[in-house]
Amino acid sequence: MATIEPITPDKPKRNYNVLFGLTLLALLVLLWVVLALATPSFASGNNIANLLRQGSMIAILAVGQTFVIITGGIDLSVGAVVGFATVVVAMMINAGFPIWAAVAVTLLAGVAIGMFHGFGIVRMGLPPFIITLATLTSLRGIGLLMTNGNSISIDNDAFQEFSRGAFVGIPNLFWMVILVGVPAHVFLQHSRWGRYLFSVGSNAEASRLSGVNIERTIFTAYILSGLCAAFVGILLASRIGIGNPTQAEGWELQAIASSVIGGTSLFGAVGSVHGPLLGAFILATINNGANLLNVNSFWQRIVTGVLIIVIVYFDGLRRRGSK
Amino acid sequence: MRSEQAGTVDGDAASVDAAPILELHGVEKRYPGTHALKPIDLAFRAGEIHAIVGENGAGKSTLIKLLTGVISRTSGDVIWQGRPVALATPHEAIDLGINAVHQEVVLCRHLTVAANMFLGDENTRYGLLQKKAMIRDAQRILDDLGFGLPAHVVLGDLTIGQQQLIAAARATVRGTRFLIFDEPTAYLTRKEAEQLFALIRRLKGEGVTIVYISHRMEEVFELADRVSVLRDGSYVGTRDIAETNDAELVRMMINRSLEQIYHKEQFAFGPVILETRNLSGKGFEDVSIVVRAGEIVGLYGLVGAGRSEFVTTVYGRHAKTAGTVLWNGQPVDIRSERDAIDLGMALAPESRRDQGLCLNLPVGLNINLPIYPRISRNLLISAGLERAEADRQIDGLKIKTPTRAALASSLSGGNQQKIVIGKWLNHGAKLFIFDEPTVGVDVGTKAQIYRLFGELLGNGAGIILISSYLPEVYELSDRLHVFRAGRQVASHGFRAAPDEEVLTEAIGV
Repeated sequence: MATIEPITPDKPKRNYNVLFGLTLLALLVLLWVVLALATPSFASGNNIANLLRQGSMIAILAVGQTFVIITGGIDLSVGAVVGFATVVVAMMINAGFPIWAAVAVTLLAGVAIGMFHGFGIVRMGLPPFIITLATLTSLRGIGLLMTNGNSISIDNDAFQEFSRGAFVGIPNLFWMVILVGVPAHVFLQHSRWGRYLFSVGSNAEASRLSGVNIERTIFTAYILSGLCAAFVGILLASRIGIGNPTQAEGWELQAIASSVIGGTSLFGAVGSVHGPLLGAFILATINNGANLLNVNSFWQRIVTGVLIIVIVYFDGLRRRGSK
Repeated sequence: MRSEQAGTVDGDAASVDAAPILELHGVEKRYPGTHALKPIDLAFRAGEIHAIVGENGAGKSTLIKLLTGVISRTSGDVIWQGRPVALATPHEAIDLGINAVHQEVVLCRHLTVAANMFLGDENTRYGLLQKKAMIRDAQRILDDLGFGLPAHVVLGDLTIGQQQLIAAARATVRGTRFLIFDEPTAYLTRKEAEQLFALIRRLKGEGVTIVYISHRMEEVFELADRVSVLRDGSYVGTRDIAETNDAELVRMMINRSLEQIYHKEQFAFGPVILETRNLSGKGFEDVSIVVRAGEIVGLYGLVGAGRSEFVTTVYGRHAKTAGTVLWNGQPVDIRSERDAIDLGMALAPESRRDQGLCLNLPVGLNINLPIYPRISRNLLISAGLERAEADRQIDGLKIKTPTRAALASSLSGGNQQKIVIGKWLNHGAKLFIFDEPTVGVDVGTKAQIYRLFGELLGNGAGIILISSYLPEVYELSDRLHVFRAGRQVASHGFRAAPDEEVLTEAIGV
């Protein structure tokens, strides 16, 4: 009896993410090959290390951002959190706290900011765009108050040495991407909380009726994003050796762009960890290559915008086509 | 058989009596997996009030959508004033003069009444809106209709009933020749309904053809010239209102042809699983029911009668305002869905799209959503268990999907419904709540779902079955509670009352 129902032919979509990831990887490799041929300095060890450092921080931000976007939200505050975190970690270190304590407190500050976002969204019913926009402007103000508008020079060589160092030839900053990316991937793809991020982003009511704690899930997403941003703030403070609340201006948009280029849907429920990582390094490569090619830096911004449109458009076409 | 005959005869009679304004010849609508509207031949006479009645899922809304160009027909011809028309877009329908007033007001709540009435047809001079002139014109129309409503206020400040009247007034100002009212009185007070009826009669006087869709028999008899009955997507027949009565219409609405698919197995009833005592909450009052192991308890009533609100409150989605819930004889305080699930309840909700499924996620994830805590080992999901549990339901329920990784949205309605049900089978619940489990699914899947009920009962579970489709609850329920306007108005044992009586109780004739 049941056979009277016609089924719509449909190809398995399991490999879709992998396929898209491979396409991005191919694009990244293509960019590298072209740049290596076009400029003598691109393929130098020094430049590659520099490129990896440049891309790493946005990559980590993009991972946290992706968790939030998968739930159907957005976190505009991450750039401001990075700037704020540089101030916190710098003040702690200069006040004589050990590095581990300064790092721990800064990370906790990131968690607290994420919890505040969760509270605003879940308890106060504010749209994610609004609550994180409010944090974006307020945190910069708080940081400026704390520093009186000045930069804080960090006088701790060991702390600054970290970002310049390398391990088995790979910059420490890039190792941090792996340190964040691997657990993030496991969390997103192999834990129930990762599944809940997707289900809440897809249909919150259906998830609730299936026993998913929606509020906890939303808190989790914003806490992870805040945590990633605070972590990036520590890395940035180490790299530039100062604490300054106006640092990382516009990084939230770069993080969102990386995430979207990496296949994350702003409508929620679609995303991965490898995608945003690749997206961040594609953007970093474009910037790096443009510098080497002596392209006016204003063009970099235009190219980035065009790239976002092109990649998301083709991704959307393919998704629709495969439905 | 009798009804088919009646249909043909009346269809011919229509074209003899008065010139038809709109004729349907063999018009049908198919979706993948369902036949929403079987070929229908129907003629609407110019200037008549033509009521259409039928149960939920009978095909009324499909018919409206076809007539207003919202969806396009699979096959058949539509003749408008003697010439064939495509009727493929809402715009074309409006240009022809076909308009609809929907049950839910589809206007802009934040704009003024006047702005809404002239939406898309604004009075402008040099590109600037002539707001004063529009308010004046709108006010004249409203006064003319005797509504006594202000044209300058924001629409959202009016009651739903008043908004409905505005929507009706709006439909009259744009050269409408053919106007469809879809359950227009669902949210109206008696006085507002009378104002609406006055408007409808006045339109009829002006030669406008009215199609009036309603559950309420008394309105049909008060207003209509003729009435057509739909059932299970099929046209049953048309009657002159003077030559019929509600008993006949109710008989035509009730489906007997599908009886064979309900095979009810009797199980010995076990202990009481769930009991509610005088439970009240948002949308329902004072409901007392008992569900025992091995028993199907049916809740019948029209949409909005409070059945869904009652079960979602039991399930912890909404807070109760009074009364007690007992689980295995113990009073329980269910504060969240998780509480209900942990007790052993399962809910397959009314709307697959809005409440049942994560459509853009894989089938497997949807099936496993309630049981991830159980199939996780320490912090991580056991990939093997996840696969096994998903495949168990896909195989067991014969869900037609290429793989468990296919997106739920790519499946047909019937197969989607199987996911909504299947996700609770692995959970091992003791009480299953099925809210409209067979809406939009084909006969084969229906029969399969009913067989599944038998299996659940045999395993010692109890079932609450909600349906607006009388044959379903009537033939399957060991105990049937009838809801009307938020209240439990009657309760019957298995087939203890004639089905006509049950329908009458629900409609409140």
